[in-house]
Amino acid sequence: MTSRKTTAVAGGGIFHWLMQDTMDGLRRRRAVLGYLFLLPTLLGIFIFTAGPVFVSFGLSLFQWNIFKPPDYVGLENFERLLEDRRVIIGLVNTVKFTVLAVCSQVSIGLILALAVHRINRVWLRYYFRTAFFLPLLMSGASVAVFMGYIFHKEFGPLNYYLTLLGIPQIPWLTSSDLVMISIAIISAWRNMGFTFLIFLGGLSNLSQEVLDAADVDGAQGLRRLWSVTIPLLSPQILFATVTGVIGALQVFDEPYIMTRGGPGNASRTLVMVMYEHAFKHIEFGYGSAIAIVVFLMILVMAIVQMWLWRNRVFYQ
Amino acid sequence: MSTEKKMSRRDLLKMAAAGGTGLVMSGLPVRVIAQDMVTIKVQTAGLDDNTLQPVADIQMARNPNVNVEWVVLTGIDHEEVAAKILALVAAGESIDVGYAATEACQLFAGQGLAAPLDDRITSDPDQDFWTDFFSDVHPSLTEAMMYEGSLYEPPRDFNAANMYFNTNVLAENGFEVPGEEWTKDDFLEIARGTTKKDDSGNTEVFGYAWTNRLWGSWMPWIFVAGGNLYTEERAPGGSWVWDGYYAGDAAAEGRGGGFRWREPVANSSEVVEALELVVDIWKEGVTPDIAMGTGQTLTGFYATGLLCMTPAGGFWAGRLGNEGMEKGDFDVQYWPNWRNQKHQFGTGGHWLSETSTAPDEAWEFMKIEVSHEGFQSSIFFNPVIITTPSRRSYSQADAFESTGPANSDVFYGTLDDHPSTSPIPAPPWSNPMTTIFTTYTGFAMSGEMGPQQALDEMQAELESLTNREGRKYYQE
Repeated sequence: MTSRKTTAVAGGGIFHWLMQDTMDGLRRRRAVLGYLFLLPTLLGIFIFTAGPVFVSFGLSLFQWNIFKPPDYVGLENFERLLEDRRVIIGLVNTVKFTVLAVCSQVSIGLILALAVHRINRVWLRYYFRTAFFLPLLMSGASVAVFMGYIFHKEFGPLNYYLTLLGIPQIPWLTSSDLVMISIAIISAWRNMGFTFLIFLGGLSNLSQEVLDAADVDGAQGLRRLWSVTIPLLSPQILFATVTGVIGALQVFDEPYIMTRGGPGNASRTLVMVMYEHAFKHIEFGYGSAIAIVVFLMILVMAIVQMWLWRNRVFYQ
Repeated sequence: MSTEKKMSRRDLLKMAAAGGTGLVMSGLPVRVIAQDMVTIKVQTAGLDDNTLQPVADIQMARNPNVNVEWVVLTGIDHEEVAAKILALVAAGESIDVGYAATEACQLFAGQGLAAPLDDRITSDPDQDFWTDFFSDVHPSLTEAMMYEGSLYEPPRDFNAANMYFNTNVLAENGFEVPGEEWTKDDFLEIARGTTKKDDSGNTEVFGYAWTNRLWGSWMPWIFVAGGNLYTEERAPGGSWVWDGYYAGDAAAEGRGGGFRWREPVANSSEVVEALELVVDIWKEGVTPDIAMGTGQTLTGFYATGLLCMTPAGGFWAGRLGNEGMEKGDFDVQYWPNWRNQKHQFGTGGHWLSETSTAPDEAWEFMKIEVSHEGFQSSIFFNPVIITTPSRRSYSQADAFESTGPANSDVFYGTLDDHPSTSPIPAPPWSNPMTTIFTTYTGFAMSGEMGPQQALDEMQAELESLTNREGRKYYQE
């Protein structure tokens, strides 16, 4: 068999080897066709994602301002990074935002999913599904622009209504203490539709046998939620948390458009610091070094989460 | 006999491919470009891609072999547009003509991205054109577009920070637009007198507002207090323009080859005083919390009578009209006198790329843009002024006839009648400088740092930045 194949290739070339009128030939053709369909995506990933990641690793060892050829500086960019106060602040702000945004979008998404799952009227369920998911379809930039108006301290409608209730004006975006909370609220509002849909899908697929068994055992209300429903939703919770953390660590649009990192550095995130250095200050080497830190942070956080959840995820 | 024929998958794929190709082809603009056509890529700073179309139309009518292609780059502020141009260059894209305000002009010139125009101007056979142009443009605008002795952009527009008034708010509180010689104390009186608070102490109408950026912002207060972010020096050179085209113009005397901003002086007592002033009136509730941006948000609040005063230039005249303000609803005056009445301005124009593949055609475009024909057709200046024309003859009262303000002579008067007026600090590293400036402004304006502490830390960061970047620029 092996010798026949070898002969075919040697005698007729790859084309004949591929076009052999045998089951093996058919399998090869199917495999090649499969790879051809994958090729555009693989090329896209290589050119726009994996390639730039590799280039960034290389660039981080250079000083490059695009006007002159790159200058090799070894690990100098990483040494500078350790002493750069703005990078440290960006890191702290990013972590703060990630905790606030992910906790709120996962918990609110779960609460909403539980509530909507209980609705019996189909049209009402569709309505809420659409309503909660719609914000996710809007671009981060446009959300940031109109939320900037809504959260404006003196002229925003949010404070207008709060003052009608006797609550003093809140400096949502101009107080160092509040700005990250405000941005996290806005981000959670936009992204909770995603977690909501994941949880709703999870709830619809819960094993009826397990739920019935819980009923028979007398588990009702919060007890059933805590001991049965949430453990059964653990794969969805893990997925929502991991993807949420990955997204949150890259936060840029909302703080950049609404506050440009201010007041002071209170909402300056790590990706914003990277953007400022690479594109505004034309320090592509240093910007790449920061990008690598972001990349490693995301990688480590994803691994840590998977590890922490390893014994807590129950697949039905 | 059945005529029915089943369509095979192969046929379906063929049809889909043919259909797809047809769709793509039908979507392409039908444009036949002759082989000897020269295409120039011109970057526009926004609004829409037809902003400069009238200029292109003039050029294409004169020279049918030229095709103008737009590269539209928008940004929240000038520094962001400059960053996008750099990203474009980093990606290997090229433009022939780019737009830059003072600060980016210094960067592009300092890095050799922009080409000096001295030889093109002095060797132009049409010297009458340049004699006429420079006689119509204030020398300070020309000087702001120079770097180390060479001119990099013929100025097309400028904006000096003047004070805008909502005349209705003024009148409701018994004030009038102040005279040219008004002072900081007059300003404070009007600002406090027009601020209205509700019973719970929340401000409903603000006397004064500004946004956190380099131009405008609280920078005008720094200037009139007698300070600056950097020491302001003049580079040597430039005599070709001063002795050649500005000969006999008193306003050109003592000018050099552009500015050098080398030593940060951000924590000088004058700058600290200026910051204290704006922080104090913020604490009083005379100004709202200070946000980042170019003032678009403020335009709406101003137009709806929620603000009385704000710094802006001629560009606000058309913008307020677009917001529905009638002629007479607003007016303008010089910046108030403190220790002096030195104003700040920024100017803008187009630069010629050093790597342009069609530099002659690109230069022709730039020349048309600053010609009388260009100004008369430019959407920036017609039908209403949306940025102040650099040419004096297009900045006169008749240009603001339909929109106001009544005191429109203030715009060019800032240059003609206030000889100390100079550009905003714009070293080639102005992008990181602006980040530092707005960051520490934010610290002070949110109460997180006192003015002195904020400016001491700003100074330390500016020194570190200047040590790192400054040595790459300036010849001495």
